[in-house]
Amino acid sequence: MKKNKRYKLLIVFMSIILLCGCWDIKDINKRTIPLVLGISKEDGKEYKLTLQIPIPNKDSKISRIVTGKGETIASVLGQMRTNSEDAVDYSQIRLIVIQNNLAHNQQEFKGLIKFLMDSEEIPSRALVAITDENVENVLSNINDKLGVHASSIYDYFNKGAGWAPEIFSTPIWEVYRSPFLYTRDIAVPVVRSGKDTVLIFEGSDILKKGKIVERISPDEYQLINVFQNENKKGKGKIESLGFASIMITNSSIQNITSMKGNQPLVSSDLNLKIHILERKEGITDHMIQKELEKITEKRFYHILKQTQRSHTDIFGFGQQFHHLISYHELKDWRNEYYPKLRVDFEVHANME
Amino acid sequence: MTQRIQIGAVFIIIHLSFGYLVYPNLVYVLTKTAHWEVVMCQCFLELVLIWIYMKGLNYFPENDVIDIFLKMGRWAVIMFLTPFVIHLIALVALNIRLHTEVIISIFLPRTPYWSIMALLFFISVYTAIKGLGTILRSSIFIFLIVFPLVLFNIFSSFINFDLNNVTLGWNSPPKFLLNKNFCYLLGFSSFLFLGFMTSKTKLTFRPFFIAWVSVTLFFLSVVYIPLYIFGQEPVVVMTHPFMEAMDSIDISWFSFNRQPLFFGLSLIGLVILANAVILWMIGRIMQKMLKCSKGESSYWIIAFSVIAFIFALFIPNKTLMEKWFLYSTGAQAYLMIIIPCTIFIYGFLSKRGVVGNEKK
Repeated sequence: MKKNKRYKLLIVFMSIILLCGCWDIKDINKRTIPLVLGISKEDGKEYKLTLQIPIPNKDSKISRIVTGKGETIASVLGQMRTNSEDAVDYSQIRLIVIQNNLAHNQQEFKGLIKFLMDSEEIPSRALVAITDENVENVLSNINDKLGVHASSIYDYFNKGAGWAPEIFSTPIWEVYRSPFLYTRDIAVPVVRSGKDTVLIFEGSDILKKGKIVERISPDEYQLINVFQNENKKGKGKIESLGFASIMITNSSIQNITSMKGNQPLVSSDLNLKIHILERKEGITDHMIQKELEKITEKRFYHILKQTQRSHTDIFGFGQQFHHLISYHELKDWRNEYYPKLRVDFEVHANME
Repeated sequence: MTQRIQIGAVFIIIHLSFGYLVYPNLVYVLTKTAHWEVVMCQCFLELVLIWIYMKGLNYFPENDVIDIFLKMGRWAVIMFLTPFVIHLIALVALNIRLHTEVIISIFLPRTPYWSIMALLFFISVYTAIKGLGTILRSSIFIFLIVFPLVLFNIFSSFINFDLNNVTLGWNSPPKFLLNKNFCYLLGFSSFLFLGFMTSKTKLTFRPFFIAWVSVTLFFLSVVYIPLYIFGQEPVVVMTHPFMEAMDSIDISWFSFNRQPLFFGLSLIGLVILANAVILWMIGRIMQKMLKCSKGESSYWIIAFSVIAFIFALFIPNKTLMEKWFLYSTGAQAYLMIIIPCTIFIYGFLSKRGVVGNEKK
């Protein structure tokens, strides 16, 4: 009996300890939760951070823009926390917009991505975008557009599969990982503020080992996307061929890789299912198919040539050679093998 | 039979607890390709040692490890089990600190670490004092809570897989066997507690084979998930590749948008039970070594756990702690080979001795 009492006391004591765990908790209605973070560097010295914070409201259509400047990003984040009325919770940031002068500086861009990845508060699945404009303008553009939802910049990148196949999203962890990988480079979307809509998609910057090499158009990127992500197929893409417009309803790609001596070979077949939306008189199905095949192949060889010249494997072809080339030789993929790569690319367009 | 299932659950939980955090890092350091070879080698070595251990224990029915050492003589207990107890105390301290550090970084960034440590510590000590029955029953409970979380972690990570990041090649000859890190890796196999639970139930090999298979699959998944998501080169520079892998998952339709949270929650459940088992082992050793009653052994548990807590509290920084943790797994690997082999050889010899006596 006496023993039992002692244990009960212990349990009561333990619950007191548990209760203390709440001493510094802040309720969700007393927190400020920014959704978008803009980063730029002014005069090459100070970092300037812009936060877009939706204000919880009945319609929740408004947001406000908060800016801060400082020597390091961490210090600005801390400073914003000090100056804010409520507790700022950075753990819900979904999009990070980086101004191009910062993004084009390889050293700083790498450091920035490393900071974002290592930061315990900012989630590494937040998306990254680059802008040529002033970041502040891009973010404040939402407030100027009447009736635009506060989370619209984030929504812009998450329309869902098939609604805008050219737009893609690149999370921080992919950008962080790309300089390490031997056989694959990635692209980051480029946006600017629009006149009537919130954002306009301008294309994508290709990163080679964390350095921006060149910019490609949305059409070109879509082709790359087909190679890189088989699950994000170019569904719903509308293509204009001059004498007809078609919609690609489905696409699938098959790659066969082989090595011929020291030269890597890929034979790749892209199957497109198309649906004709409109056509001029006298144009047959066959002509449309042939034209589409020609255009797509031409586009592909154009990018391939361009990237082979700059030694940037944006298609991720090297990934498919992991089992053909030994691990230690993969290091030289970009410089040794990729320029020599031959791709037999064939497009087969079929009517739905 | 139920007790065997419970012991199997404890076996899996302890492996999960040790394996979740530092295990993948060690494998990535050991080899650049064919990681499964390392994992399989470690697991097979463990299986062999478990077999030897059980064989040895079965020579002495209804005795546990301490009884067997006592049969050899008091000197054997002091010689073999004193270092073991010291090692266990260090293990409790490092384990609690390492897990706390990760839990803080996942979801309690503003809470001081001593408060979380105290929480984990009190529950484990309480379970350990309550004894074997409580540990076994709670093992099933924790298993049922944690196992779905672990499975969810594993399956949700599939969406980020890039299967081309890893090629399942074959490394020959396996150079890693000579690396000292492999010895550390071996230390993650914690099955020594089995010998302390044999006084009531007779252990059979088959249920452990099932537990061993699931642990092996778990180790493979822990190693391969970050590899499939990031690839070998980025993974080497990360401190907690598995946590980063969880953080990269974005399931927008799911109401909880932070996958590391599940990881952190399962860590809490795992570490509490793992520490409880270790503390209970210390209690058993002290009780039998000093021939004290059951009540007195709980004082020993409290005394040693307080030492462990203070030790954990005063570990100055993270890097030093991880280094020490490695050393302690090295010590574990050493004990893991010594104790089963000694018991097996002693059992074998004494059995022949008995046969010899009968002939006379």
